[in-house]
Amino acid sequence: MAKVQIPQEENATLGGIRKVMYAPSEDGRFTRHNYGSSVEEFATKVAVQEYEKLESEALRRIADKEGSAVAYFMYKNRMDLPTLASVTGLFQFQIKRHCKYRVFVKLKDKTLQKYADAFNITVAQLKGCNDAPGV
Amino acid sequence: MPREFEHTQFAHCESGVVSTLVSQKGLQLSEPMVFGLTASLSFVYLPVIKLNNMPLIAYRQLPKNIINKIAKVLNLTIVTKRYKNAFDAQRDLDGLLEEGKLVGLQTSVFYLPYFPPDMRFHFNAHNLIVYGKEGNRYKISDPVFEEGVTCDPKDLAIARFAKGVFAPKGFLYYIDEIDQTIDMAAALKKAIRKNAKVMLIPFPYGGVKGMFTLAKKIASLQSCGDRRYLTNFLTHIVRMQEEIGTGGGGFRFLYAAFLQEAIGYGLPQKPLQQASELMTRSGNTLREFALLCVQGAKNPDDFDAEAIAAKLREAAQTEREAFSLLKGL
Repeated sequence: MAKVQIPQEENATLGGIRKVMYAPSEDGRFTRHNYGSSVEEFATKVAVQEYEKLESEALRRIADKEGSAVAYFMYKNRMDLPTLASVTGLFQFQIKRHCKYRVFVKLKDKTLQKYADAFNITVAQLKGCNDAPGV
Repeated sequence: MPREFEHTQFAHCESGVVSTLVSQKGLQLSEPMVFGLTASLSFVYLPVIKLNNMPLIAYRQLPKNIINKIAKVLNLTIVTKRYKNAFDAQRDLDGLLEEGKLVGLQTSVFYLPYFPPDMRFHFNAHNLIVYGKEGNRYKISDPVFEEGVTCDPKDLAIARFAKGVFAPKGFLYYIDEIDQTIDMAAALKKAIRKNAKVMLIPFPYGGVKGMFTLAKKIASLQSCGDRRYLTNFLTHIVRMQEEIGTGGGGFRFLYAAFLQEAIGYGLPQKPLQQASELMTRSGNTLREFALLCVQGAKNPDDFDAEAIAAKLREAAQTEREAFSLLKGL
């Protein structure tokens, strides 16, 4: 009978929960076991950090007057282009344009409101971030 | 009955929820049985579909497969509803709870506040059970958690109407009628044969062949200069396996458990036992594969793409063997 190792490592990303998996017990019958895996922890952390990296890059681009607050908040909310397009009802190519500084500053409040709703913030906050990134 | 409802933690959300719903109606059915009966084991690698700029990789059938298939397999009535607005969705949910029903919901993990921050990604096909109300808050049995949790109606509404890939649109389901006289042996046989067909499909991005295709892609990454992409790609494979999946090839263990349980319903013991062991072995191999991926991601300068690909091929070969045994059941 094949044996299965049940990892009992720390996984800080789960905030104290331990997930379950199926594995054979002593008698060979499958039952549920709690486990913690550092492999999972690492994979999740990389994904979280990737968004953090994208966020800080977006902030830098705003400061350089290249990027806009749309990109920053998109990453802050862990979204990608298709997700944001679906939430706002805009096309992906529009959002790509709105991620540029010079396009963003000309956007109407109506469009900005769509983004603000998607990010659960106010239009003022969205504009504010574009004027003074990182504050 | 729901008054003394007891929360159970499961390995996978959808199979766990359906297992609870069916069992509560008097047909005791474990999570592996639900998973196996709906032929949910799979492998898909679709580079054209992107999630967060990464290819779609799934170790099981697409979300909602279990809910859609269970009714047919077990000859039961499952009522499913989608909504246009949150108001109707909540009114119906409250009404069903009043009647004492257990209600399954599809939600987005990102908007559920009781999830730890690091787990909150835009994954729209998370299933959970609402089993009552405590004051104004919903009492929720979430299969990922060790204990029952509660959630504010406003947050739950947002989670139910999240947009994007697999948008739930307020999807709600509960089981109405259940047929207690089902011929389990026949249903099992059919499900296993069907799953074998899915895994042995002659299509390069699905089943065992899909695993080989992904292995090829990994092997080709040896000369990839973009380290950030490499790290993200390798951990993405692991995340699809572990998070949305369960415990490093956890679906393989789930299926192995199912095959073992199926023997008890009078199916031929020898091929099932053998296949169950092969699936356990594949699960172990996939776990080693995940470990190698993570090691590669940690140290992209000195990673051995061929070794990682070889591990995946080993798992694929094992599964090919297992399902060849089951094909002619």
